Amino acid sequence: MRSHITLSPKQLGLAMLFVAIGGAAGTLIRDLALKINLYVVPRGTAIYPSPDWTHQIPWVLLAINTFGVFVATDLLRHRLKHHDPNDPTRLLLVTGFLGGLTSYSGLFVDLAAIWHLTIGGCLLVAAGAIVSGLFAGMLGLGRHRRRA
Amino acid sequence: MTLVLVSIFGAIGCVVRYLFEYLVRRNHPTSRPWATVAANALGTGIAGFTAYRLTGTADIEIRTIVLTGFCGGLTTFSSALAVPAILQREHHWGYAAALITTTPLICTGMFVLGMSLAH
Repeated sequence: MRSHITLSPKQLGLAMLFVAIGGAAGTLIRDLALKINLYVVPRGTAIYPSPDWTHQIPWVLLAINTFGVFVATDLLRHRLKHHDPNDPTRLLLVTGFLGGLTSYSGLFVDLAAIWHLTIGGCLLVAAGAIVSGLFAGMLGLGRHRRRA
Repeated sequence: MTLVLVSIFGAIGCVVRYLFEYLVRRNHPTSRPWATVAANALGTGIAGFTAYRLTGTADIEIRTIVLTGFCGGLTTFSSALAVPAILQREHHWGYAAALITTTPLICTGMFVLGMSLAH
């Protein structure tokens, strides 16, 4: 499967299965992690969207995304460097699991919620997400350099 | 039940993204990362539409399945930043910078488009 850019229908089906298994696991973990409520509403008080924009910052998703970039960089640059894009391990871990675990669209939905409260805060969180992702990528590369 | 459906739709989203990447790689082997940009743009556009269309309390489950499941699976943050990080290490600075800057801009445009279509 490694040396072929064009896959046979059977190989393509198998590749899609690996991606689906990894993606299902990654999405499941992200969904469960996103249920963590960092701002617990005291018992007896009404639940309403907080007017404080800092309470809308998606800390859990930001942490998941940053972790995902670090692991993906490490895998693609080091452990799976010589693996074909259609290699089962790469499909399962990078395309499937990490792809399902991290989310670009979820970040935009959360940013839109902040935008309605404060534009500056929204831009700050967006910049923070990109910068933390780049930092995680550099860490993943650095980890490889120390090992090499 | 919602958890299972979120997981299934997440898997479907991942497979659609993989097919994007596979089809692009098969025809243009050097332009692979742009398939990820396209998948992120499409997923963000669908998310913008869904987030502003399904706002009722009866829609919460469908909203979660589409947003967290399908759109979450279709889009990826890990590859979107890991690939540019690796490209800059391989001295493809322009390519890396283009990927880092264009992805958020295109996704913002698609999210706003989806949001506008929902209203």
